[in-house]
Amino acid sequence: MRISDLLKLAFRNLMRRKARTALTVIGVVIGTISIVVMVSIGFGVNKSFDETIMQSGSMTIIRIQKYGAVFDENGNYVDSREQVLDDSVVEQIRTIEHVKAVSPVIQKYVQLECGKYQSGVTLYGMDCEAFEAFEFPALQYGSYPTREHPATVVLSPQSMQYFYNFSGRNYQEKSVDPLTEEVVLKFQEYQTHPRKKQFELSLSDVAMMEETDNWEYSYNIYMDIEYFREIWQKYANTLTLEDRKRAVSSVANYEEIKINVDNINNVAKVQDEIEALGYATYSEMQYLEPLKETSRMLQMVLGAIGSIAMIVSAINIANTMVMSIYERTKEIGIMKVLGCLVRDIKRQFLLEAGLIGLLGGIVGIAISYVLSFLINKYGSGIMGSIVGTETTGELSIIPFWLPFAAAAFGMLVGLLSGYFPARRATRIRAIEAMKTEG
Amino acid sequence: MEKEPEKIIELVNVKKVYRMGNEKIYAVDDVSFDIKKGEFCCLLGTSGSGKSTLLNLMAGIEKATSGKILIKGKNITGMSENSLAKFRQRYLGFVFQAYNLINSMTALENVEFPLVFKRVSPKKRKRLAKEMLVKVGLQSRLGHKPKEMSGGQQQRVGIARAFVAKPEIVFADEPTGNLDTKTTIEVMELIKQMARDNHQTIVMVTHDRSLAAYADKVIHILDGKIQSIEVNDGQGDEQEHLKEVSQQLLMDRGGERFADGRERPGGVKSVTAAVVKPVPVREVTIRNKEDSV
Repeated sequence: MRISDLLKLAFRNLMRRKARTALTVIGVVIGTISIVVMVSIGFGVNKSFDETIMQSGSMTIIRIQKYGAVFDENGNYVDSREQVLDDSVVEQIRTIEHVKAVSPVIQKYVQLECGKYQSGVTLYGMDCEAFEAFEFPALQYGSYPTREHPATVVLSPQSMQYFYNFSGRNYQEKSVDPLTEEVVLKFQEYQTHPRKKQFELSLSDVAMMEETDNWEYSYNIYMDIEYFREIWQKYANTLTLEDRKRAVSSVANYEEIKINVDNINNVAKVQDEIEALGYATYSEMQYLEPLKETSRMLQMVLGAIGSIAMIVSAINIANTMVMSIYERTKEIGIMKVLGCLVRDIKRQFLLEAGLIGLLGGIVGIAISYVLSFLINKYGSGIMGSIVGTETTGELSIIPFWLPFAAAAFGMLVGLLSGYFPARRATRIRAIEAMKTEG
Repeated sequence: MEKEPEKIIELVNVKKVYRMGNEKIYAVDDVSFDIKKGEFCCLLGTSGSGKSTLLNLMAGIEKATSGKILIKGKNITGMSENSLAKFRQRYLGFVFQAYNLINSMTALENVEFPLVFKRVSPKKRKRLAKEMLVKVGLQSRLGHKPKEMSGGQQQRVGIARAFVAKPEIVFADEPTGNLDTKTTIEVMELIKQMARDNHQTIVMVTHDRSLAAYADKVIHILDGKIQSIEVNDGQGDEQEHLKEVSQQLLMDRGGERFADGRERPGGVKSVTAAVVKPVPVREVTIRNKEDSV
């Protein structure tokens, strides 16, 4: 038989029992909705996890900190130990596969002053050649420091926003534009030598980062580590002899080594290799991993709940097809005698079952989109009152492939549940079939 | 001598055994005969004689227990279900006692149905089916469903369906079993006419002796065995012969008169007062030795 004839016949047979077909299709619709909506909620939860983590820094970053955490075999924090981080460690790590960038980090809390207004920020000294590989954001103005021109201080948008006048009343607050106003940087760790002038660095050569979601690049200020050492030395010269020694030794080793891995999937591997070298590490990924595990579990549980409805609808289709075959036994017998190939009879029933599945799948997807929209519009408030925190992201996300997968799955369920009834139809013996009533 | 017409159906020692518990029932017991191309053959027997089983065996609907069935020189006993279906599409047509039309389809769609299996284009098969329905006199009922038609009309749809694909052989299982005498005559004449127009072979099963008179060859079946085979001599004018047979049938049954002399679908004018001659019948062979009387 021609495909067009098979389709026409299948449609005609489905239309013959409209109520029954409609009920079976509704079964598939419910099955599809439950799967699509459940999976979409799973995706929504997953994505909001990702976003939360993304805000706290890049996922591919590994840190080795001066005071590395020590864990017992159950993964509980027990102690911290001091690790010596110097250039030899940096070079050692640079040779590890999948490491995109390594930079030593020195971190100092500094005071910025603009007239009477003051603000405290954290200054990071890092290898200026690694800035790009660490995915520093684009600049609003200025340019990143280079080896040839290391004296640029890179500011982040928020770092210029909260300046307070502590001497005035009410702690007046203001934002500073470093291009038009003079800002000076001061270290505060040690007392200045009584007979010397306090060290000050005027921020005239500056660059400003664009706004980003990543808080790392929102509040801190950055400079090249060599340039940092240079000004730190100048600062040390203004101190008393004792303090000078302490100050110099405090930057002899690094506070942190920051590593950027080429791919999120290699983070765990690189981390293991560094641990093997004997250094305690830290990465956002290692905290994301159990979270991911939880959300994967949640997704699977939701998917399983959704599948139950689909399984029920598959049984429903099979039942409809068996009934349909009982009713049409005589017709099948006639078709066989008139020379209809067994293959075509089978195809016809499979097609009917598949059409039920496909139709239910399509309608189910359409309704799922509506439900997903409603969940996102009204659901976050409800969820917020249950969980306690207001979620800003979307609760239900339908990825572009999900509707196709659901429609294909619906059809597959139809075909599978139609297969045994269809085979049964082909086994019907023509003579007996023709003798039956109907 | 005229050239002997080719044998279109050939049965050699065909047996069909059913098992009923421990008992073996020989529905068809060692039957051999052949049917020539263009012949109208009638399998005559009482109910339970095995005549319908024999027809089903020839049509490949049932499988023979042993023996050979050659149709157009091909042994169908060993054929797969798939090639049998294709074989039926190409060479065979069927007329049933219970019409076996598909109730959800119109007359036109029912007649089209065998052509659907043969992958004929929708346009062509619609034209062929229409032509066929016009031929059986149902041009005004193309869009009617079987339930909206009388038994005679339904059977004419059945005949149109059997002949639409121009099969070489048409099997008819008690085609007039559910019809009154008047309609029986119409239907029989229609079948005969159709077969003659296209030089088709008809194999008909009946228990009705008077219907056997339409046949060129009558095979008497009893308890699964051939009792005798009669051959009606094909002498004289065929049209004339048909009239006589129909008239005889009417007399036998003592049924309603076919008195108006109107044109019947077969194109044969009914005859009111024809001289009724006994149908010339010649006894020929008795194949079954045990049964020979």
